[in-house]
Amino acid sequence: MPEWLLKDENYIPQSDKDAFITKSIMTLLGVLSRIRAQSVYKEKKFKVSAALKVAFTFVLILLISISKSIAFTIIINVYLLAVLSMMNGEEIIKILKVSIVTSAFTFVILLPAAFWGNLFSSIFITSKVFATVTAVNMLSHSTRWNSITSALKRFYVPDIFILVMDITIKYIFMLGEFSLNMFYALKLRSVGKNKSKYTSLSGIAGTMFIKSNEMAEDMYSAMECRGFTGEYQVINKKYKMTFPDFVYIIMNIALILIFIYMERV
Amino acid sequence: MIDLTDVTYSYSGNIALKNINLHINKGEAVSLLGANGSGKSTFLKLINGIISPDSGIYKFNNEEITHSKLQDTKFAKLFHQKVGFVFQNSDTQLFCADVYDEIAFGPKQMGMSENEVDKRVNDCLTLLNIVDFKHRQPYHLSGGEKRKVAIACVLALNPEVLVLDEPMNGLDPRTQRWLVEFLIRLNKAGKTLISSTHDLELVQEISQRAVLFGEDHSIAADLPTDKLLTEIDLLKKVNLVDEYYHRITYKQS
Repeated sequence: MPEWLLKDENYIPQSDKDAFITKSIMTLLGVLSRIRAQSVYKEKKFKVSAALKVAFTFVLILLISISKSIAFTIIINVYLLAVLSMMNGEEIIKILKVSIVTSAFTFVILLPAAFWGNLFSSIFITSKVFATVTAVNMLSHSTRWNSITSALKRFYVPDIFILVMDITIKYIFMLGEFSLNMFYALKLRSVGKNKSKYTSLSGIAGTMFIKSNEMAEDMYSAMECRGFTGEYQVINKKYKMTFPDFVYIIMNIALILIFIYMERV
Repeated sequence: MIDLTDVTYSYSGNIALKNINLHINKGEAVSLLGANGSGKSTFLKLINGIISPDSGIYKFNNEEITHSKLQDTKFAKLFHQKVGFVFQNSDTQLFCADVYDEIAFGPKQMGMSENEVDKRVNDCLTLLNIVDFKHRQPYHLSGGEKRKVAIACVLALNPEVLVLDEPMNGLDPRTQRWLVEFLIRLNKAGKTLISSTHDLELVQEISQRAVLFGEDHSIAADLPTDKLLTEIDLLKKVNLVDEYYHRITYKQS
């Protein structure tokens, strides 16, 4: 044993600016906890079929984008907020936060148009953005990822597209956990003044690249061993329509009728 | 040296550690045993200041370690120098261009001269028998070699406590044997060792004391290692062993 290892270290650290490590850790933790929360998502009492939600969200976005009537956009916003109010408080805050930020950003971009006398268009487009973002976020917060992919299968979305989506979300999580541990290791070993911070970061990025490449090769081999021929089977269980499904369909058909009426007026 | 009083920690409402009371003296070698998901890795993260307790007190060298204290970079850096952590997956710990730089990463930051850093790195390379890998890229090494480099880069900081998460995982029997003997030497040299493990055959050799985590995330037993290993019913109760282990141990005895 070397002599220095037998003695206690008499060390006084210098201060160093390395907040980027903590910030990176916090960002990664946020992303991972969001994905984890999706996996432990509990089925709600009034469960609507994921296929219906995906289909009608798509229709709703289409109607919002082609509508020329501000009254229709307002009705959609009221409808979405009413449905949103039935979700739990935490989800409402998360969804509204994203919707408000994106709408505010849109409004800021459109401010020059407003100053040039096009205030109506600015408000109209902002409200359309708010409705679209809220609708998509409500879908993602109320539906499991695998339910969305199996719903896509029902609409004959190509298998390979669904496979890529499934794998992407899985590897965002796995590589996210891996890079989180790398940042923890960097933090624990950063015991003084690091003169080449960016070298450590590029080291982490390089290791991540090698790791992801290894994982991709392993997965390809594993899939070949399991007889993968390019066709991805998503199991679609037989689904029986429930009362909430009928209510959901009726409400959405009503919205489509309102759209047709408003556009004719 | 390490003192935990009524420590509780949870991940988004899921309890990971429940009412942990533990005292570890300087120079002790302690093993943490428990089934998967019993809270061993969370406990090690807490000991290293990666996470802070939701409630309860964690003291290191009679000083309370809190989240706000760890926000103070000077305090955190000194604490991290004193408590070294060897991760379960060595890949996560290695991010430098070659093995030499990897081991020199910590000592360079500690403000040592070039000669001192060089001496410390070479001592670590010799100690862990990895001199030949000095200029190799860490990601091209085998699992056992990576583990040795990971231990070397933590040892280069000369920590008072060495925390190891599943140190024997993925190692071949020869490297496992080497690591057991190395940990015994380190402990005899005065280092405090805390390691989590599932390997009941090696646990007796690397520690004098064993702490058993139950499935309820609390400490089910804290006994001398040889005594704990005879408590088959207790090990079965926490789902660490099954009937098969019982039969084998009975036959051997």
